[in-house]
Amino acid sequence: MRVSSLTLRRVHKWIGLIIGIQLILWTLSGAVMSTLDHETVAGGPAATPEPPALPDRSAWPDVARRLGGGDVVRVALRPFLDGHVYEVWTSDGPKLFDVASGEPVSIDAALAQRVAIAGHGGAPRVRSVTPLAELELAVREHELPIWRIDFDDEGNSSFYVSGVDGRLLERRNDTWRTWDFFWMLHNMDYSARTSFNHPLIVLVGFAALWLAITGFWLLFRTAWRPDFRVLLRRFSKF
Amino acid sequence: MAFRAALTARRLHRWIGLVVGVQALVWTLSGLYMVAIDLDIIHGDHLIRTEAPRHARLGDVADPLRAARAVPGGDGVRLLWLGDRPVYAVSAPAGPVILDARTTAPVAPPTEDEIRSIAAERFNGDAGIVEVDLLQEVPFEIRGRTAPLWRVRFEGWNKPTLYFSATTGELLSRRHELWRVFDFLFGLHIMDYGERENPNNMLLRVFSWAALTLTLTGAWLLLYSFPRRRRRRPQA
Repeated sequence: MRVSSLTLRRVHKWIGLIIGIQLILWTLSGAVMSTLDHETVAGGPAATPEPPALPDRSAWPDVARRLGGGDVVRVALRPFLDGHVYEVWTSDGPKLFDVASGEPVSIDAALAQRVAIAGHGGAPRVRSVTPLAELELAVREHELPIWRIDFDDEGNSSFYVSGVDGRLLERRNDTWRTWDFFWMLHNMDYSARTSFNHPLIVLVGFAALWLAITGFWLLFRTAWRPDFRVLLRRFSKF
Repeated sequence: MAFRAALTARRLHRWIGLVVGVQALVWTLSGLYMVAIDLDIIHGDHLIRTEAPRHARLGDVADPLRAARAVPGGDGVRLLWLGDRPVYAVSAPAGPVILDARTTAPVAPPTEDEIRSIAAERFNGDAGIVEVDLLQEVPFEIRGRTAPLWRVRFEGWNKPTLYFSATTGELLSRRHELWRVFDFLFGLHIMDYGERENPNNMLLRVFSWAALTLTLTGAWLLLYSFPRRRRRRPQA
Protein backbone atom coordinates (compact mmCIF):
# COMPACT_ATOMS: atom_id res chain seq x y z
CA MET A 1 0.00 0.00 0.00
CA ARG A 2 1.29 3.40 -0.87
CA VAL A 3 0.33 6.28 1.35
CA SER A 4 0.21 9.54 -0.53
CA SER A 5 2.35 12.43 0.59
CA LEU A 6 -0.79 14.52 0.87
CA THR A 7 -2.31 12.11 3.39
CA LEU A 8 0.90 12.02 5.40
CA ARG A 9 1.09 15.80 5.38
CA ARG A 10 -2.55 16.11 6.43
CA VAL A 11 -2.21 13.66 9.31
CA HIS A 12 1.01 15.37 10.35
CA LYS A 13 -0.42 18.87 10.43
CA TRP A 14 -3.67 17.92 12.13
CA ILE A 15 -1.91 16.02 14.91
CA GLY A 16 0.47 18.96 15.14
CA LEU A 17 -2.44 21.34 15.49
CA ILE A 18 -4.11 19.30 18.22
CA ILE A 19 -1.13 18.46 20.42
CA GLY A 20 1.20 21.23 19.31
CA ILE A 21 1.21 23.10 22.61
CA GLN A 22 2.12 19.99 24.61
CA LEU A 23 4.79 19.15 22.07
CA ILE A 24 6.38 22.55 22.53
CA LEU A 25 6.15 22.05 26.31
CA TRP A 26 7.78 18.61 26.02
CA THR A 27 10.69 19.83 23.96
CA LEU A 28 11.08 23.02 26.01
CA SER A 29 11.01 21.18 29.35
CA GLY A 30 13.29 18.44 28.04
CA ALA A 31 15.80 21.01 26.85
CA VAL A 32 15.70 22.91 30.15
CA MET A 33 16.08 19.73 32.22
CA SER A 34 19.05 18.60 30.16
CA THR A 35 20.63 22.00 30.75
CA LEU A 36 20.11 22.25 34.54
CA ASP A 37 22.95 20.51 36.34
CA HIS A 38 21.43 17.35 37.80
CA GLU A 39 23.73 17.28 40.82
CA THR A 40 22.68 20.80 41.80
CA VAL A 41 19.07 19.74 41.26
CA ALA A 42 19.65 16.88 43.71
CA GLY A 43 20.94 19.35 46.32
CA GLY A 44 24.66 19.51 45.48
CA PRO A 45 27.42 17.53 47.19
CA ALA A 46 26.28 16.28 50.59
CA ALA A 47 28.21 17.19 53.71
CA THR A 48 30.03 14.16 55.14
CA PRO A 49 30.74 14.92 58.79
CA GLU A 50 33.17 12.74 60.74
CA PRO A 51 31.20 10.04 62.55
CA PRO A 52 31.15 10.72 66.30
CA ALA A 53 32.89 8.25 68.61
CA LEU A 54 30.70 5.67 70.31
CA PRO A 55 29.68 6.78 73.80
CA ASP A 56 31.43 5.15 76.77
CA ARG A 57 28.26 4.82 78.73
CA SER A 58 25.07 3.09 77.72
CA ALA A 59 21.65 3.85 79.15
CA TRP A 60 19.99 0.89 77.40
CA PRO A 61 18.49 -0.56 80.61
CA ASP A 62 16.81 2.84 81.25
CA VAL A 63 15.45 2.89 77.70
CA ALA A 64 14.08 -0.64 78.08
CA ARG A 65 12.49 0.36 81.38
CA ARG A 66 10.92 3.47 79.86
CA LEU A 67 9.38 1.36 77.11
CA GLY A 68 8.12 -1.16 79.60
CA GLY A 69 10.07 -3.98 77.95
CA GLY A 70 7.25 -4.60 75.50
CA ASP A 71 7.17 -5.60 71.86
CA VAL A 72 9.26 -3.65 69.39
CA VAL A 73 9.17 -3.70 65.61
CA ARG A 74 12.53 -2.11 64.93
CA VAL A 75 15.58 -1.30 66.96
CA ALA A 76 18.49 0.76 65.72
CA LEU A 77 21.51 2.64 66.92
CA ARG A 78 22.63 5.50 64.73
CA PRO A 79 24.87 8.56 64.79
CA PHE A 80 22.89 11.71 65.43
CA LEU A 81 24.61 15.11 65.40
CA ASP A 82 27.60 14.76 67.75
CA GLY A 83 26.33 11.68 69.57
CA HIS A 84 24.31 8.54 69.01
CA VAL A 85 20.66 7.73 69.50
CA TYR A 86 18.64 4.58 69.95
CA GLU A 87 15.70 4.46 67.59
CA VAL A 88 13.03 2.09 68.81
CA TRP A 89 9.82 1.45 66.88
CA THR A 90 6.85 0.27 68.84
CA SER A 91 3.35 0.00 67.43
CA ASP A 92 3.06 3.77 68.14
CA GLY A 93 5.91 4.62 65.74
CA PRO A 94 9.54 5.47 66.40
CA LYS A 95 10.99 6.96 69.54
CA LEU A 96 14.49 8.36 69.91
CA PHE A 97 16.62 8.13 73.04
CA ASP A 98 20.04 9.52 73.75
CA VAL A 99 22.41 6.56 74.03
CA ALA A 100 24.44 7.97 76.91
CA SER A 101 21.68 9.48 79.04
CA GLY A 102 18.64 7.43 78.04
CA GLU A 103 16.63 10.66 77.80
CA PRO A 104 13.95 10.76 75.08
CA VAL A 105 14.98 12.97 72.17
CA SER A 106 12.18 14.90 70.54
CA ILE A 107 12.89 16.76 67.35
CA ASP A 108 12.16 20.38 68.19
CA ALA A 109 12.97 23.46 66.12
CA ALA A 110 16.46 23.82 67.60
CA LEU A 111 17.43 20.19 66.90
CA ALA A 112 15.92 20.27 63.41
CA GLN A 113 17.99 23.38 62.69
CA ARG A 114 21.18 21.66 63.90
CA VAL A 115 20.46 18.67 61.65
CA ALA A 116 19.94 20.95 58.67
CA ILE A 117 23.12 22.95 59.33
CA ALA A 118 25.16 19.75 59.74
CA GLY A 119 23.80 18.53 56.41
CA HIS A 120 24.51 21.82 54.67
CA GLY A 121 28.26 21.77 55.03
CA GLY A 122 28.70 25.53 54.54
CA ALA A 123 28.13 28.17 57.21
CA PRO A 124 24.86 29.62 55.97
CA ARG A 125 22.58 32.03 57.79
CA VAL A 126 19.29 30.45 58.78
CA ARG A 127 16.37 32.52 57.66
CA SER A 128 13.61 30.60 59.37
CA VAL A 129 12.62 27.28 60.92
CA THR A 130 8.97 26.34 60.49
CA PRO A 131 6.89 23.26 61.16
CA LEU A 132 4.90 22.30 58.08
CA ALA A 133 1.17 22.37 58.57
CA GLU A 134 0.68 20.39 55.38
CA LEU A 135 2.90 18.67 52.85
CA GLU A 136 4.55 20.87 50.24
CA LEU A 137 5.53 19.85 46.73
CA ALA A 138 9.15 19.65 47.89
CA VAL A 139 8.34 16.82 50.31
CA ARG A 140 5.33 15.33 48.58
CA GLU A 141 6.64 11.80 49.03
CA HIS A 142 7.16 12.11 52.78
CA GLU A 143 4.93 12.27 55.80
CA LEU A 144 4.31 14.93 58.42
CA PRO A 145 5.54 16.09 60.89
CA ILE A 146 8.31 17.89 59.03
CA TRP A 147 10.43 20.96 59.83
CA ARG A 148 11.44 23.30 57.05
CA ILE A 149 14.69 25.19 57.48
CA ASP A 150 15.18 28.07 55.05
CA PHE A 151 18.73 29.19 54.43
CA ASP A 152 20.00 32.53 53.22
CA ASP A 153 22.40 31.03 50.70
CA GLU A 154 23.08 31.19 46.99
CA GLY A 155 20.36 28.74 45.99
CA ASN A 156 17.77 29.91 48.56
CA SER A 157 17.93 26.40 50.00
CA SER A 158 15.15 24.86 52.02
CA PHE A 159 16.07 21.74 53.96
CA TYR A 160 13.42 19.44 55.36
CA VAL A 161 13.96 17.47 58.55
CA SER A 162 11.67 14.71 59.79
CA GLY A 163 9.96 15.67 63.02
CA VAL A 164 9.76 11.99 63.89
CA ASP A 165 13.26 10.61 63.56
CA GLY A 166 15.32 13.75 62.86
CA ARG A 167 16.56 12.57 59.47
CA LEU A 168 17.35 15.10 56.77
CA LEU A 169 14.66 14.31 54.20
CA GLU A 170 15.29 16.68 51.32
CA ARG A 171 17.67 19.44 50.27
CA ARG A 172 15.85 21.74 47.88
CA ASN A 173 17.07 24.88 46.14
CA ASP A 174 16.09 27.27 43.33
CA THR A 175 17.57 24.99 40.67
CA TRP A 176 15.43 22.14 41.95
CA ARG A 177 12.34 24.42 41.99
CA THR A 178 12.91 25.36 38.34
CA TRP A 179 13.62 21.75 37.43
CA ASP A 180 10.50 20.53 39.22
CA PHE A 181 8.29 23.03 37.39
CA PHE A 182 9.58 21.80 34.03
CA TRP A 183 9.33 18.18 35.22
CA MET A 184 5.64 18.85 35.85
CA LEU A 185 5.28 20.15 32.28
CA HIS A 186 7.17 17.14 30.97
CA ASN A 187 5.04 14.48 32.63
CA MET A 188 1.80 16.46 32.34
CA ASP A 189 0.94 15.76 35.95
CA TYR A 190 -0.29 19.23 36.71
CA SER A 191 -1.54 18.61 40.22
CA ALA A 192 0.35 16.15 42.38
CA ARG A 193 3.50 15.83 40.25
CA THR A 194 3.98 12.29 41.50
CA SER A 195 2.86 10.05 38.67
CA PHE A 196 3.36 9.97 34.95
CA ASN A 197 1.06 7.01 34.36
CA HIS A 198 -2.17 8.78 33.53
CA PRO A 199 -4.46 8.40 30.50
CA LEU A 200 -3.93 11.96 29.23
CA ILE A 201 -0.19 11.57 28.72
CA VAL A 202 -0.59 8.11 27.17
CA LEU A 203 -3.10 9.53 24.70
CA VAL A 204 -1.01 12.57 23.79
CA GLY A 205 2.11 10.40 23.71
CA PHE A 206 0.41 8.05 21.26
CA ALA A 207 -0.52 11.00 19.05
CA ALA A 208 3.03 12.31 19.29
CA LEU A 209 4.35 8.95 18.16
CA TRP A 210 2.22 9.23 15.02
CA LEU A 211 3.39 12.78 14.52
CA ALA A 212 6.96 11.53 14.65
CA ILE A 213 6.23 8.60 12.32
CA THR A 214 4.51 10.71 9.69
CA GLY A 215 7.13 13.43 10.05
CA PHE A 216 9.93 10.93 9.61
CA TRP A 217 8.14 9.35 6.66
CA LEU A 218 7.75 12.76 5.05
CA LEU A 219 11.51 13.19 5.12
CA PHE A 220 11.60 10.61 2.32
CA ARG A 221 8.99 12.53 0.32
CA THR A 222 10.82 15.78 0.44
CA ALA A 223 12.45 17.38 -2.57
CA TRP A 224 15.77 18.23 -0.97
CA ARG A 225 17.42 19.42 -4.16
CA PRO A 226 15.84 22.88 -4.39
CA ASP A 227 16.74 23.48 -0.75
CA PHE A 228 20.30 22.45 -1.51
CA ARG A 229 20.49 24.88 -4.37
CA VAL A 230 19.27 27.69 -2.14
CA LEU A 231 21.84 26.78 0.48
CA LEU A 232 24.65 26.63 -2.09
CA ARG A 233 23.66 30.01 -3.48
CA ARG A 234 23.62 31.55 0.01
CA PHE A 235 27.03 30.16 0.86
CA SER A 236 28.63 31.16 -2.43
CA LYS A 237 27.90 34.78 -1.53
CA PHE A 238 30.34 34.66 1.33
CA MET B 1 5.84 37.99 1.92
CA ALA B 2 3.67 35.37 3.61
CA PHE B 3 4.76 32.98 0.91
CA ARG B 4 8.41 33.61 1.65
CA ALA B 5 7.87 33.22 5.40
CA ALA B 6 6.02 29.97 4.83
CA LEU B 7 8.86 28.74 2.67
CA THR B 8 11.45 29.64 5.29
CA ALA B 9 9.44 27.93 8.03
CA ARG B 10 9.03 24.83 5.89
CA ARG B 11 12.72 24.68 5.02
CA LEU B 12 13.83 25.12 8.63
CA HIS B 13 11.35 22.53 9.85
CA ARG B 14 12.51 20.04 7.25
CA TRP B 15 16.20 20.43 7.85
CA ILE B 16 15.96 20.31 11.61
CA GLY B 17 13.66 17.32 11.16
CA LEU B 18 16.31 15.65 9.07
CA VAL B 19 18.81 16.03 11.89
CA VAL B 20 16.63 15.08 14.89
CA GLY B 21 14.06 12.90 13.10
CA VAL B 22 15.35 9.54 14.28
CA GLN B 23 15.74 10.78 17.84
CA ALA B 24 12.20 12.24 17.74
CA LEU B 25 10.96 8.74 16.93
CA VAL B 26 13.06 7.32 19.76
CA TRP B 27 11.74 9.95 22.20
CA THR B 28 8.10 9.33 21.42
CA LEU B 29 8.44 5.54 21.41
CA SER B 30 10.45 5.35 24.63
CA GLY B 31 8.27 8.02 26.25
CA LEU B 32 5.13 6.14 25.37
CA TYR B 33 6.50 2.91 26.87
CA MET B 34 7.53 4.68 30.06
CA VAL B 35 4.13 6.30 30.65
CA ALA B 36 1.98 3.40 29.45
CA ILE B 37 3.20 0.85 32.00
CA ASP B 38 2.51 1.63 35.62
CA LEU B 39 5.70 2.55 37.46
CA ASP B 40 4.88 0.23 40.36
CA ILE B 41 4.88 -2.68 37.92
CA ILE B 42 8.17 -1.49 36.44
CA HIS B 43 9.59 -1.38 39.98
CA GLY B 44 8.47 -4.99 40.43
CA ASP B 45 6.28 -4.37 43.48
CA HIS B 46 4.08 -7.24 42.35
CA LEU B 47 7.01 -9.66 42.50
CA ILE B 48 7.36 -9.32 46.24
CA ARG B 49 5.19 -10.57 49.02
CA THR B 50 4.81 -7.91 51.69
CA GLU B 51 6.13 -9.06 55.01
CA ALA B 52 4.11 -8.62 58.15
CA PRO B 53 6.21 -6.61 60.61
CA ARG B 54 7.91 -8.87 63.10
CA HIS B 55 8.01 -8.19 66.78
CA ALA B 56 10.81 -8.76 69.23
CA ARG B 57 10.59 -8.47 72.98
CA LEU B 58 12.77 -5.64 74.12
CA GLY B 59 13.92 -7.75 77.05
CA ASP B 60 15.22 -10.43 74.66
CA VAL B 61 17.57 -8.34 72.57
CA ALA B 62 20.94 -7.08 73.74
CA ASP B 63 22.04 -3.46 73.98
CA PRO B 64 22.73 -2.38 70.36
CA LEU B 65 25.72 -0.40 71.63
CA ARG B 66 27.33 -3.67 72.72
CA ALA B 67 26.91 -4.94 69.15
CA ALA B 68 28.46 -1.76 67.73
CA ARG B 69 31.44 -2.07 70.10
CA ALA B 70 31.97 -5.69 69.10
CA VAL B 71 32.84 -4.67 65.53
CA PRO B 72 35.93 -2.54 64.74
CA GLY B 73 34.71 0.85 63.50
CA GLY B 74 31.12 -0.22 64.16
CA ASP B 75 28.93 2.83 63.87
CA GLY B 76 25.28 2.00 63.23
CA VAL B 77 23.18 -0.99 64.24
CA ARG B 78 19.86 -2.28 62.89
CA LEU B 79 17.70 -5.15 64.05
CA LEU B 80 16.89 -7.67 61.30
CA TRP B 81 15.61 -11.19 61.05
CA LEU B 82 17.56 -13.99 59.49
CA GLY B 83 14.93 -16.66 59.21
CA ASP B 84 13.39 -16.64 62.68
CA ARG B 85 16.47 -15.39 64.40
CA PRO B 86 16.78 -11.71 65.39
CA VAL B 87 20.17 -10.36 64.35
CA TYR B 88 21.95 -7.04 64.55
CA ALA B 89 23.45 -5.74 61.32
CA VAL B 90 26.38 -3.52 62.29
CA SER B 91 27.62 -1.08 59.68
CA ALA B 92 31.38 -0.70 59.64
CA PRO B 93 34.02 0.68 57.25
CA ALA B 94 34.89 -2.84 56.08
CA GLY B 95 31.25 -3.62 55.27
CA PRO B 96 28.32 -4.77 57.38
CA VAL B 97 28.64 -7.58 59.93
CA ILE B 98 25.82 -9.55 61.53
CA LEU B 99 25.66 -10.59 65.16
CA ASP B 100 23.11 -12.53 67.12
CA ALA B 101 20.77 -9.89 68.61
CA ARG B 102 20.42 -11.81 71.87
CA THR B 103 24.05 -12.63 72.56
CA THR B 104 25.95 -10.35 70.11
CA ALA B 105 27.93 -13.44 69.09
CA PRO B 106 28.98 -13.52 65.41
CA VAL B 107 26.52 -15.18 63.05
CA ALA B 108 27.65 -16.95 59.89
CA PRO B 109 26.38 -15.26 56.73
CA PRO B 110 23.37 -16.98 55.13
CA THR B 111 24.15 -20.13 53.16
CA GLU B 112 22.86 -20.82 49.65
CA ASP B 113 20.11 -23.00 51.09
CA GLU B 114 19.04 -20.26 53.45
CA ILE B 115 19.00 -17.74 50.60
CA ARG B 116 16.90 -20.17 48.55
CA SER B 117 14.31 -20.45 51.27
CA ILE B 118 14.30 -16.69 51.95
CA ALA B 119 13.88 -16.05 48.22
CA ALA B 120 11.05 -18.55 47.87
CA GLU B 121 9.34 -16.94 50.85
CA ARG B 122 9.64 -13.38 49.55
CA PHE B 123 8.81 -14.11 45.91
CA ASN B 124 5.17 -13.58 45.06
CA GLY B 125 4.14 -16.40 42.75
CA ASP B 126 4.78 -20.06 42.25
CA ALA B 127 7.58 -19.87 39.68
CA GLY B 128 10.54 -22.07 40.52
CA ILE B 129 14.10 -20.93 41.06
CA VAL B 130 16.29 -21.31 37.98
CA GLU B 131 19.64 -20.32 39.38
CA VAL B 132 21.28 -18.98 42.54
CA ASP B 133 24.66 -17.22 42.30
CA LEU B 134 26.94 -15.54 44.79
CA LEU B 135 28.28 -12.46 43.00
CA GLN B 136 31.43 -10.58 43.88
CA GLU B 137 30.75 -7.91 41.29
CA VAL B 138 27.64 -5.77 41.11
CA PRO B 139 25.66 -6.41 37.90
CA PHE B 140 24.81 -3.37 35.79
CA GLU B 141 21.10 -3.71 36.44
CA ILE B 142 21.55 -2.97 40.15
CA ARG B 143 24.41 -0.49 39.78
CA GLY B 144 25.03 1.51 42.93
CA ARG B 145 24.70 -1.46 45.30
CA THR B 146 27.58 -3.14 47.07
CA ALA B 147 28.88 -6.67 46.59
CA PRO B 148 28.97 -9.44 47.67
CA LEU B 149 25.38 -10.37 46.95
CA TRP B 150 23.19 -13.27 45.98
CA ARG B 151 21.29 -13.29 42.71
CA VAL B 152 18.25 -15.56 42.55
CA ARG B 153 16.68 -16.05 39.15
CA PHE B 154 13.13 -17.28 38.77
CA GLU B 155 11.30 -18.94 35.90
CA GLY B 156 8.97 -16.91 33.73
CA TRP B 157 8.82 -14.90 30.52
CA ASN B 158 9.77 -11.75 32.41
CA LYS B 159 12.80 -13.37 34.07
CA PRO B 160 12.21 -12.15 37.62
CA THR B 161 15.43 -11.78 39.58
CA LEU B 162 15.83 -11.02 43.27
CA TYR B 163 19.03 -9.75 44.84
CA PHE B 164 19.99 -10.37 48.47
CA SER B 165 22.83 -9.07 50.59
CA ALA B 166 25.42 -11.81 51.14
CA THR B 167 26.05 -10.62 54.70
CA THR B 168 22.57 -9.94 56.01
CA GLY B 169 20.33 -11.89 53.63
CA GLU B 170 18.21 -8.76 53.16
CA LEU B 171 16.31 -8.30 49.92
CA LEU B 172 18.18 -5.52 48.13
CA SER B 173 16.41 -5.26 44.81
CA ARG B 174 14.27 -6.98 42.21
CA ARG B 175 14.37 -6.84 38.45
CA HIS B 176 12.36 -8.24 35.55
CA GLU B 177 12.16 -7.83 31.78
CA LEU B 178 9.74 -4.89 31.84
CA TRP B 179 12.18 -3.02 34.09
CA ARG B 180 15.11 -3.95 31.85
CA VAL B 181 13.31 -2.63 28.76
CA PHE B 182 12.36 0.54 30.68
CA ASP B 183 15.96 1.09 31.74
CA PHE B 184 17.23 0.55 28.20
CA LEU B 185 14.64 2.95 26.77
CA PHE B 186 15.37 5.51 29.47
CA GLY B 187 19.01 5.44 28.36
CA LEU B 188 17.89 6.08 24.79
CA HIS B 189 15.49 8.81 25.97
CA ILE B 190 18.23 10.79 27.73
CA MET B 191 20.79 9.76 25.09
CA ASP B 192 23.19 8.44 27.73
CA TYR B 193 24.20 5.15 26.20
CA GLY B 194 26.71 4.23 28.90
CA GLU B 195 25.57 4.63 32.49
CA ARG B 196 22.04 5.73 31.53
CA GLU B 197 21.90 8.33 34.26
CA ASN B 198 23.43 11.62 33.10
CA PRO B 199 20.76 13.90 31.61
CA ASN B 200 23.35 16.65 31.17
CA ASN B 201 25.35 15.06 28.37
CA MET B 202 26.19 17.32 25.45
CA LEU B 203 24.43 15.11 22.91
CA LEU B 204 21.10 15.41 24.73
CA ARG B 205 21.56 19.14 25.26
CA VAL B 206 22.15 19.76 21.55
CA PHE B 207 19.37 17.45 20.40
CA SER B 208 16.80 18.66 22.91
CA TRP B 209 17.30 22.34 22.06
CA ALA B 210 17.20 21.42 18.37
CA ALA B 211 13.94 19.57 19.04
CA LEU B 212 12.50 22.73 20.57
CA THR B 213 13.30 24.63 17.37
CA LEU B 214 11.66 21.75 15.49
CA THR B 215 8.40 22.12 17.40
CA LEU B 216 8.53 25.91 17.23
CA THR B 217 9.06 25.96 13.47
CA GLY B 218 6.31 23.35 13.25
CA ALA B 219 3.96 25.68 15.11
CA TRP B 220 5.02 28.57 12.85
CA LEU B 221 4.34 26.39 9.84
CA LEU B 222 0.84 25.63 11.11
CA LEU B 223 -0.03 29.27 10.50
CA TYR B 224 0.31 28.65 6.76
CA SER B 225 -0.92 25.07 6.66
CA PHE B 226 -4.67 25.51 6.75
CA PRO B 227 -6.69 26.68 3.76
CA ARG B 228 -7.29 30.37 3.28
CA ARG B 229 -10.91 29.96 2.32
CA ARG B 230 -11.81 30.25 5.95
CA ARG B 231 -10.36 33.70 6.25
CA ARG B 232 -12.52 35.00 3.43
CA ARG B 233 -15.74 33.79 4.90
CA PRO B 234 -16.49 36.76 7.21
CA GLN B 235 -16.52 39.10 4.19
CA ALA B 236 -19.59 37.44 2.74
